[in-house]
Amino acid sequence: MSEAHPILRVRDLTVELQSAASRRKVLDSVSLDLHADEVLGIIGESGSGKTVLSRAMVNWVSRPLEMTSGQIFYHGEDLRQMPVRQLQVLRGRKISYIGADPTSALDPTLPIGHQIVEKLKSVEPGISEADARKRVIETLQAVRIPSAAERFNEFPFQFSGGMMQRVMIVDALVTSPDLLVADNITQPLDVTVAAQILRLLRDLQAEYRTAILFVSSLLGVVNDIADKVLVLANGRVVERQSMQGILQSPEHEYTRHLVRDMPRIWEAQSEVPAVRARVNSNHGREAILSVRDVSRTYATKDRSRLFGKQYVQAVRGVSFDVYKGDSLGIVGESGCGKSSLSRLLSRLEEPDSGKILFKGQDVGGLRGTALLNLRRGFQLLLQDPYNSIPSHLTIGRTVAEPLIIHGGRSKAEIREKVAETMAEVGLGPELAHSLPVGLSAGQRQRVNIARAMVLEPELLILDETLSALDQVEQAKLLGLFEKLQVRHGMTYIYISHDLGMVRRVCSRVAVMYLGRVVELAGNGTTFFNPGHPYTRALLSAVPAIEHRPYDAATYLLEGEPPNPINIPPGCSFRTRCPFAFGRCAKDEPTLLARGSGDLAACHLAEGGMPAPGMSPAGLHDLNPVPALRSGTGA
Amino acid sequence: MLFAVDFFLRRLVQGLVIVVLVAMLIFTLLRVVPGDPVRIMLGPMVTAEMAEETAQKMGLRDPVPVQFIRYAAQVISGDFGHSFVRSAQGGSTGGSRGGDTFDASNRAPVMGLILTALPYSLLLAGLALGISLVISLPIGIVAGLFSGRWPDRLALYLSSLFVSLPNIWLALVLIFLVSVKGGLLPAIGYQNWTYAILPALVLAIELSPVFIRSASVAVSSNMMESYVPSGIIRGLSRPRMIVAHVLRNSMIPLLNVVGIQAIGLLLGSLFVIEYAFNYPGVGLLMINAVFQRDFPVIQAIAILACTVLVLVNILVDFAATTIDRRLQY
Amino acid sequence: MTPELVSTTSVAQPTLRGQRWLSATMFINAWRTTEFRIGFFVFFGLIVLSVLGPSLFGVSPTKISVTDKFLPPIGFEGGNWAHVLGTDQLGRDLFARSLIGLRNALMIGLISVVGMFLLGSAIGMIAGYVGGWVDLILMRITDAQMAIPVIILAITILGVSRPTPFSIVCVLILAGWPAYARTARSVMLSERRKEYVRAAKILGASDLRIMIVHIAPNILPPIAFVAVLEVARMMIIEAILGFIGIGIQPPTPTFGTIIADGTKYLMNAWWITTVPGLLLAISLCGINLMGGALERARNKLLQGVS
Repeated sequence: MSEAHPILRVRDLTVELQSAASRRKVLDSVSLDLHADEVLGIIGESGSGKTVLSRAMVNWVSRPLEMTSGQIFYHGEDLRQMPVRQLQVLRGRKISYIGADPTSALDPTLPIGHQIVEKLKSVEPGISEADARKRVIETLQAVRIPSAAERFNEFPFQFSGGMMQRVMIVDALVTSPDLLVADNITQPLDVTVAAQILRLLRDLQAEYRTAILFVSSLLGVVNDIADKVLVLANGRVVERQSMQGILQSPEHEYTRHLVRDMPRIWEAQSEVPAVRARVNSNHGREAILSVRDVSRTYATKDRSRLFGKQYVQAVRGVSFDVYKGDSLGIVGESGCGKSSLSRLLSRLEEPDSGKILFKGQDVGGLRGTALLNLRRGFQLLLQDPYNSIPSHLTIGRTVAEPLIIHGGRSKAEIREKVAETMAEVGLGPELAHSLPVGLSAGQRQRVNIARAMVLEPELLILDETLSALDQVEQAKLLGLFEKLQVRHGMTYIYISHDLGMVRRVCSRVAVMYLGRVVELAGNGTTFFNPGHPYTRALLSAVPAIEHRPYDAATYLLEGEPPNPINIPPGCSFRTRCPFAFGRCAKDEPTLLARGSGDLAACHLAEGGMPAPGMSPAGLHDLNPVPALRSGTGA
Repeated sequence: MLFAVDFFLRRLVQGLVIVVLVAMLIFTLLRVVPGDPVRIMLGPMVTAEMAEETAQKMGLRDPVPVQFIRYAAQVISGDFGHSFVRSAQGGSTGGSRGGDTFDASNRAPVMGLILTALPYSLLLAGLALGISLVISLPIGIVAGLFSGRWPDRLALYLSSLFVSLPNIWLALVLIFLVSVKGGLLPAIGYQNWTYAILPALVLAIELSPVFIRSASVAVSSNMMESYVPSGIIRGLSRPRMIVAHVLRNSMIPLLNVVGIQAIGLLLGSLFVIEYAFNYPGVGLLMINAVFQRDFPVIQAIAILACTVLVLVNILVDFAATTIDRRLQY
Repeated sequence: MTPELVSTTSVAQPTLRGQRWLSATMFINAWRTTEFRIGFFVFFGLIVLSVLGPSLFGVSPTKISVTDKFLPPIGFEGGNWAHVLGTDQLGRDLFARSLIGLRNALMIGLISVVGMFLLGSAIGMIAGYVGGWVDLILMRITDAQMAIPVIILAITILGVSRPTPFSIVCVLILAGWPAYARTARSVMLSERRKEYVRAAKILGASDLRIMIVHIAPNILPPIAFVAVLEVARMMIIEAILGFIGIGIQPPTPTFGTIIADGTKYLMNAWWITTVPGLLLAISLCGINLMGGALERARNKLLQGVS
């Protein structure tokens, strides 16, 4: 290998952020080497300067940022000294860049194929239109975009995030560059889609022999692709090592924290202790919320027929119980119906059919005071800490709002209750009179919690409540929820895409796919011995630094969920299921009890799928499903 | 294709509803405001009985909805009725003559009056739109490309100045300076197309701020879209990004502005400016009709003006959807 | 304030801000611009003049003095300091008449804009919030109203009825509300999906409460900022109506009637038409500079945030 001549050699690169008053170093003397056919991972949390670093590699640094010193050598030539015209041809042709937001990287008003052809003709002036077209379509096929020739003429908004990221990979690789800068490319994607993209990038890297600078904030993601890793903290490189080395023997203090705090799913002691105590003690307890065969369909305009309507089946026949004092997790990827379900559970909308019973009372059909009284019992916490609290009211007034709406209290009583609740969730009394401007995301989420808690609800629905927060804040708020649960006997429903968090706090988990609950099981079963292949696929795709019991080669899905307008007959998962067989096309499996009351909607739930790749360490109290049935129809 | 059919069917039906609503509104307004048209038709000398008889005969004493339905039926068959005051031979009759009973056959048909005046108005409007686009598009685009710098400021000052000039005042000042003092261009009335230049200039100056502002906002907001820096990093040159993508996409808001604001503004100001220049277009016809309480002419012009506005709107929206396909969804 | 195209997208910082703060920032940013300050001082200077002027200088806008007719403004031959801007065909002081005209135009402009803002925003907010049939009906009415150009509506109504200040304001409100209804509706459509509205619903707040307490303070200030520009437009329309003869009736001076009167004497007394018009143009310029700066500050912030 060309060990002596790296493709990319960065020396003492410093980038400063300049404002009227001050200058701050965003990157401080960063050096790195990237050799041909190598994948160098760069890991750092938000604000570490990793995006600036990756953009500097394509000379995309502009005011108020400025490169103040250092060199970026590409094949020995300094990009910073290169004339603009030469650089223009180099980037796009030999050096490609893919960013975190594929959906806005192309002109939204032109077909994707035309834009890639436009780029190809711009950086390779000699190429004919027909050749360019052919090359683009071939590359679209290479990234496994189905029916590439037709999609060539489609517009960016007609692609999902994952497909659009593939398009951007085509755009980057169509000129066979020898350097690819990938800046956080999996960040906006669902886990299974992100895992697909990673696998694709790995395959293409082997095929195209492109050197990749892979930037990410997730250790688990970098672990899946990089050979070597460089850890960036506050603009400085604090450690450089092989991937193995980082995980096994991190040297720098920062890296050690990073590796230690990475949530684990399968290693022992993952759950919060209280969760462990609650597991499997549900029987005979009172169900505080019962969902009975609930469905919700939305009508949208059908573009293929005159005045036509089509029906999006967002939630299809969902049933489950939530027991008092319990925590239920609802997980699934975007489009699985979990947010529609959360609107139904919080009575923002009513189901088309089915019933939602809160303490035995049907929530649907209630109006006026009866509904208002019922609302005291259950509250919803939303995801966005910035948009969910009004910015023109003081924090005290915001927390008091529900009490004012529900009435029946004097001003003094309200003031007292507000102060008490704010103290309980960890908001200082001085905040009562200030506006929320300047509060951190975590503090804002506490205001949300206080506003919900002031009504003394028995059930809290957390709709992605913690996903906008960083690891540290998340941990603090989880602690707060734990405290509230112990003190008030709260019941929680966590709606989340974060399997790691659900693993830690939920005693039972419902997995949703295309509007249905496909698996409803205890925490241990869900993560160690799930009965549904979709659950296994999710687990195989979680970015992790542990050994996964479900490997991607067997379980990772291809393609994307079918359109919820035309859900295939039979099992809705069969179009992507690696184990699908004849019966799946005819019979739709229902949720059936496996051992110990866990439910899964799969014909193979009792066996027929390969065994987990690891012995379930934390399952001493469960009976793992014994023997595998031999032979599947797949 | 299917989209186009669906689009036009839906929008034309909606447009028809709007026009009918407007017609009802104008028709009703004209009948509830004080001022008896019979008095105007027949003049002040006629007896009360005679006026009443004429009104009965013409159906002016029927309930308003009945009158409206009768009128609508006429309009559908292409007949906008006859002027109350203008004779078929041209020139105004009405009040001054007095004495005779009203006879529709010797009054000018409204449609004929409008069709005679329309070409003059179209010439004026077209000229105004052309001058205004030629002045304002380059300024607006440059201002948008250099957002926040001196061309942008210049555009702001220029459009603030233009928008502050009352059109009637500007018309008189230009008549005084260019026509009376300078003798460069003719101004009052119409003999050949040069008579349209000065009024068109006034209208163009009134329209320009709208174009300058929307062009600069459209271009500068497109320049801030992330596909622009991303395209440059992908290997496209900055000029190419601007010409092939930014300017193209800026057309959508511009089309909208031309369609909704400019045509609306033009339709309104055209009337006033024609009046100020005594220019024989639809606007002068309308304003004279207002003074003469010539209801059939007023309502016909108002209905036609809003039909034009509705149609232009539909066309503009359709053009926008062909540029940006997202708008079809 | 970095209008550079790349910098806004390069370093993603958590710049989500509260709306109240946003309105204040908008105002402060606008105030920082020279345009805004120039406009502000011109405009308020003229307001002070028009309120205090007539009593301060002790000249009557309606006093006829045949001996003083056709006096040119000072600086021209025959002008004198008693009549700074000259006199008209009846010897009335043009400066005093213009100031009264300005006051009337401003009152009509302000009241009608406030009226159309309130009416339009209320209708638009209801249409956007409630949706469904209510939305459909209200929006078709809005479209119909919008399809009649302001001037046509005004001359149709005022031309055939008797124009009074009250009826003029009513006509202007009637002609102007649809634009506000459309804007308010489109903002409401995106606003009602925001999480704070969901949050308020879950707390049990009534729809009316959500609209007035929660949504209105967020969406109305930015719309109101741009309404400043509309005041200038309404003042022009008031002048046009006066010019055609369907504005406020004489003897009350308005810009429109002064200009219309002057047209007959354009040849020998050009100042009767041009000078008051210039005063109007200057004050409109003041308003437009302020409005333009506010609008830009708003656009810049909204683009920066979203």
